[in-house]
Amino acid sequence: MTDFARLLGALVEGHVEFIVIGGFAATAHGSAHVTVDLDVVYGRSAENIARLVGALSPLQPYLRGAPPGLPFRLDGDTLRRGLNFTLVTSAGDLDLLGEAAGGGTYEALLPRSEVRSVLGFQVRFVDLETLIHLKRAAGRPKDLERIAELEAIAEEARKT
Amino acid sequence: MSTLGADLQWVSLEPSPVIEAYKKDVDRTLIRENLKLTPDERVKKMIAALHFMEEVRRSRKAPG
Repeated sequence: MTDFARLLGALVEGHVEFIVIGGFAATAHGSAHVTVDLDVVYGRSAENIARLVGALSPLQPYLRGAPPGLPFRLDGDTLRRGLNFTLVTSAGDLDLLGEAAGGGTYEALLPRSEVRSVLGFQVRFVDLETLIHLKRAAGRPKDLERIAELEAIAEEARKT
Repeated sequence: MSTLGADLQWVSLEPSPVIEAYKKDVDRTLIRENLKLTPDERVKKMIAALHFMEEVRRSRKAPG
């Protein structure tokens, strides 16, 4: 089971520039769904990639679903050559996204994010309007129910 | 119709009939309860539910 506090703690204490999106962000905005992984968009600067590698290395990241024994190492070269990585770590599943569907890079999402205190850490989350935008951009049938809930959250929040 | 800026791809945020249909099944009482909580409380509530689901899954797997 994913240890969200451990994952977030590694990233925050490693001073990684990241923004939480996906189901965990939906939870922070009021979703009643349960989510089993952490999705983050990370900054692609050389400095941030180095911080990301340093923060995640102790959690032994490995490609999720890849056969055991595959020569995979999450290092600076790997991150620079790739963009989005679905990982399993000793603290649970982590999706590292250089760009979310809909053009959601770290720089694009930064002005559309807000810092919230969660599990003892100051964590940056994408705002609700942008989360809906990203889900719509992804265009996955499985997201339709989630989008409906997020839009209902926005409607209910406007009433309060 | 809406976009959030040139750096994000254009996406229609017009009401979608499919999403509107799904919306009818959304439990708004749960949403209203969650909106009374802080983000930290919402996250902790979700993690507690996740732990509960894991316990149920384990108990089903347990022999005997």
